[in-house]
Amino acid sequence: MKKILAVLLALAMVLALVPAVMAEGAPELITVTVFKGDPGDQPTEDNKIYKLIEEKLGIKFEFEFLAGNLDETLGIKMSDRDNLPDLFDGSNSAEMLEDGGVLIDLLPYISEEKTPNLYKHIYTDDRIKQLLTEDGKLYIIPNYGINYNQEIKDYNGPAFHIQKKVIAWNNYQVPKTVDEYFALIEKYIAENPTTEDGTPYTGFAILCEGWRHFCLINPVQHLIGRPNDGEVVVDINDPGYHTETFIDKPYAKPYYKKLNEAYKKGLISRDTFAMNYDQYIAALSNGTVIGMFDQGWDFGDATNSLNAAKKYENTYLALPLLYDADDLEGIALPSADWKVEEHYVNGSVMNKDRGAGISISCKYPERMVELYETLLSDEWQKILQWGIEGEDYYVENGRMLMTKEQYENRSNSDWQRANTANAIWTSLPKKQGTMDDGNAWSPDQQPEIRNEFRSDYDKDFLAKSGKTDWIQFFGPVTPLAPYGEAWEINKGPIQDDVDAFLRIQDEQLPGIIMAADDAEFDAKWDAFVKEVAPYGEIYGKFMNEEILKLVALVEGK
Amino acid sequence: MTAITVKKKGKRRDVVFPIVNTIILILIMFTTLYPVINTVAYSLNEGMDALRGGIGLWPRVFSTEAYESLLRDPAIYKAFGISVSKAVLTTLLNLFFTSMLAYALSRKEYVLRGFITVVLVLTMYINAGLIPNYLLVGKVLGLRNSYWVYIIPTMFSCFNMIVIRTYIGGLPDALVESGKIDGAGDIRCFFQIILPLCLPVLATVALFVAVGAWNSWFDTYLYNGSKKDLYSLQYLLKMKLATTQNQSNAAATSADALAQTSKVAPVTVRAAITVVSAVPILVVYPFLQKYFVTGMALGSVKG
Amino acid sequence: MTTKVINTGAVGLKKKKGFFRTLGSQYQLMIMSVPMLLYVLLFNYAPMWGWVIAFQEYKPELGLLNSKWVGWDNFKFLFSKQDFLLSIRNTFAMSLINLVFGTVAAILLAILLNEVRNKAFKRTVQTVTYLPHFLSMVIVVGMAQNIFASNGAANDLLVGLGLVKEPVFFLGKGEYFWWLVGAINVWKEVGWGTIIYIAAMTSIDPSLYEAAAIDGAGRFQRILHVTLPGIKSTFMVLLIMNIGHLMEAGFEIQYLMRNGMVQKYSDTIDIMSLLYSFGARPQYGRGVAAGMFKSIVGIILLFGANKIAKVMDEETLI
Repeated sequence: MKKILAVLLALAMVLALVPAVMAEGAPELITVTVFKGDPGDQPTEDNKIYKLIEEKLGIKFEFEFLAGNLDETLGIKMSDRDNLPDLFDGSNSAEMLEDGGVLIDLLPYISEEKTPNLYKHIYTDDRIKQLLTEDGKLYIIPNYGINYNQEIKDYNGPAFHIQKKVIAWNNYQVPKTVDEYFALIEKYIAENPTTEDGTPYTGFAILCEGWRHFCLINPVQHLIGRPNDGEVVVDINDPGYHTETFIDKPYAKPYYKKLNEAYKKGLISRDTFAMNYDQYIAALSNGTVIGMFDQGWDFGDATNSLNAAKKYENTYLALPLLYDADDLEGIALPSADWKVEEHYVNGSVMNKDRGAGISISCKYPERMVELYETLLSDEWQKILQWGIEGEDYYVENGRMLMTKEQYENRSNSDWQRANTANAIWTSLPKKQGTMDDGNAWSPDQQPEIRNEFRSDYDKDFLAKSGKTDWIQFFGPVTPLAPYGEAWEINKGPIQDDVDAFLRIQDEQLPGIIMAADDAEFDAKWDAFVKEVAPYGEIYGKFMNEEILKLVALVEGK
Repeated sequence: MTAITVKKKGKRRDVVFPIVNTIILILIMFTTLYPVINTVAYSLNEGMDALRGGIGLWPRVFSTEAYESLLRDPAIYKAFGISVSKAVLTTLLNLFFTSMLAYALSRKEYVLRGFITVVLVLTMYINAGLIPNYLLVGKVLGLRNSYWVYIIPTMFSCFNMIVIRTYIGGLPDALVESGKIDGAGDIRCFFQIILPLCLPVLATVALFVAVGAWNSWFDTYLYNGSKKDLYSLQYLLKMKLATTQNQSNAAATSADALAQTSKVAPVTVRAAITVVSAVPILVVYPFLQKYFVTGMALGSVKG
Repeated sequence: MTTKVINTGAVGLKKKKGFFRTLGSQYQLMIMSVPMLLYVLLFNYAPMWGWVIAFQEYKPELGLLNSKWVGWDNFKFLFSKQDFLLSIRNTFAMSLINLVFGTVAAILLAILLNEVRNKAFKRTVQTVTYLPHFLSMVIVVGMAQNIFASNGAANDLLVGLGLVKEPVFFLGKGEYFWWLVGAINVWKEVGWGTIIYIAAMTSIDPSLYEAAAIDGAGRFQRILHVTLPGIKSTFMVLLIMNIGHLMEAGFEIQYLMRNGMVQKYSDTIDIMSLLYSFGARPQYGRGVAAGMFKSIVGIILLFGANKIAKVMDEETLI
């Protein structure tokens, strides 16, 4: 009897060890809470990529997406420091999280031996210098902006837009200055006052609603030859990086005067200043707006609507415009030797302070860093960006390609919920640019795919313009300034002055553009400059200091 | 409905007024109905076409895609269940406590009447702010990530209490007095005498509370954001709307003309959400309406 | 607090003793009310510690005890801003317009409905008029912006009827803003607002109408002398409550309808509070200070209105 028991006991002990031995390979399954500062769809329960992550890395995600006001939500979440989301993505207000001390410093976890992918990602070209906060810590690894091998340039940023059919009508001659642009619009409308169904055209639309008021406020910096620095222009040839706001300067006046002329000619409607975003998109989707200054992603809905209705000729071409030489005659520019040259397209900016950080209440910081590290590998990046070979893409002669169905799946939100891990991927560091074997990291940038799925109209348009892609309408890429793009700078310390600065513009620029005659225009302009200049002064000075700090960081002082 | 034969001068007014009244009311109905029908039309329109605006009483390009995009998600049904149960429970509990309190405070002889009334009324005008409320309810009371956060903090509303109290105040004093003479205490008087007579105002308050609970998403937003099994219907719908608005921007960053399959636009989704949220209320509404519109004959009280 | 009415019965006894004895006899009323009192104290009054944030440079991560104390600085900041002072005016104006037009419209509609004999028609009208309550403000404001645009339906009507020569720039002139907001609010909420008055009208003794008719009163006189007095207590109570809410014009509708040209008329206290509190470095103290200001003014208005009502021998709230 005793012997049987002894054998059974031994057997039991061996059997008990089996699971432990078998589990040796798979890591312990943990559930990680993730907060995303953007709206989003919950993935389905059987999402194939998340299943893969659970299998291979033992991590299950619980997502919460933004529902209300971002700042308000972040404030509420930060007030309970013991129950923060494990991975915390504050989207456009992530600085609140960094300042609030709710994220852990990642530097101690990253090393060449333990995390080679992450190490290479942030230390190459001394990038790390630009990513550290003032106290020398790294809280967030940028989720966009780090390129491998050859960078592929796309331009979706600020530009003057015009309907493609107008350019076609003009024998594919593109305007290069503001004067040429408005002259073209005027000419077109003179000969074609209405659309086919009788709606009169609007020559130029200006969206002023809420934070989208950059359509009203930003153009001048580009017209004098600077890429997007937000509300300031910077003299990069000056060792002191002289910085000033541009809206209150003499060289801003000619642009608003031209808008005033256009308004008096009936090319701009007064309703544009009260228009809300839905009305703007509706007008663009109906093809009744000839041109506007905006950024491609801002009117994406309208582009989609026009494409869906196959009205390709009404979609917009982005163009870089500049001032004419005589516009600026006798006017002081930011520096004595200032050259007005086209600089719309900027070098790639790292999306600093954007992405998911690991919160201080997370119980598994090492595993989170391990997650970042593993998902940053080539193998996983392919899965996250392209999908599973054979299901989501195929390979031919070493080139990664997609069938029409595979490509269309990518814009189908239901398919995405079951087959992509976009929710986590958009917050984590990723590889952009080109793979080692020459394929583009992003399928949308793979030349074969872009060309194949273009509309025939677009193919024709490009051919007749003598180009192979939209970015060729712009000049060469401007090398990125050492401080990046100034709009990224955290303006917290002067927030009230910035608010006042912007409010005055919101209020007075529409009135200036609608001035009835030259006398009224000049009077309103002068009053405007008087009121806004003091804030501009504070703003410019602050930005200059911050820029110098950033430059010093990069140049390793 | 109206006296057609006009004999005396006094009677003539009887003909004109109802006709004028009816016309006025029909006009008012038209102004309120048109935008509602317009919203329904948008909800049944194809998304990409709806972006162009200009839709009137009928959809221009009929499509049920907006509804499909909402109803396709199985999570909707769970959220619907949560919202229904929350509305029902909240209404029952709230009605019970609020009306009881209204009765107590309607008794002029109650010595604590003034004090309690002031304390309660002041709550309508003071608000501590989001963060303190969040910390109290969510952290200290531990109601975060739980279903009970929908029920426990909503058991009383001062405004409704005032409405009921005023109504009770309009009832004859003799009612309670005679009840007391018969030996009933306040509690019995309330349940047996007053409450049955309050059906019109109770129906009104029930409607307010039910609609409030049904429409609320803020509580989910503050406390249950990461528990998708506890999402209220409104919260889920709000998230869906936000996603459609976000998606188009994200998609547009990948340039060029692409075939847009199942691209619902925020405009139609918003309209569909309105309809989906309103329908359950409209279904329940007539049952409550008959109480506060038709009222009760008070003749029976006199006996 | 002083008790309102001392019951007949405890005459001649010392006040203190009478108070507790009366209270004791009212134990049933206490059971019905004291638990709820405690509930309210917990959920509504306990979080009031949050008001100290108004005197701090509050940072959630530091919490209440460790955030810097700044005394009246947050208040000083707010009241130094001309835009904030204007927002007080705007809030007050819009609330007043909403209150007056909203109440009048709700009562008028309730009266009209009350005079309808046909029950089916009455219920239909009542249902249809409250439908706008369910439309989200985003939809409603979107429609309003289309209607009041220079080429919108409102201008088409005005020009068509010859009332104006040229389209009016409704959305671009600040002076129109308050009235547009009032019109939208009334339209959206009138059906909802009448519900309370209709419910109140049902409790009017029908024999009063009969008696008035017998005395020779015509329809309008019956409305004047029976219906209106019948809803007077409801009206007074709602009026007093709404006067206390005059600092609460709201946020959503103004936020959606505003634009730069009209911002000096459109921005309410809540909108400015949001602007001043959020940004790269949130300033919660300011938001709480604005909220505190609103509450205190509201309470003063409330007690003031209540007192006036008492003096005029009307129904009071408290």
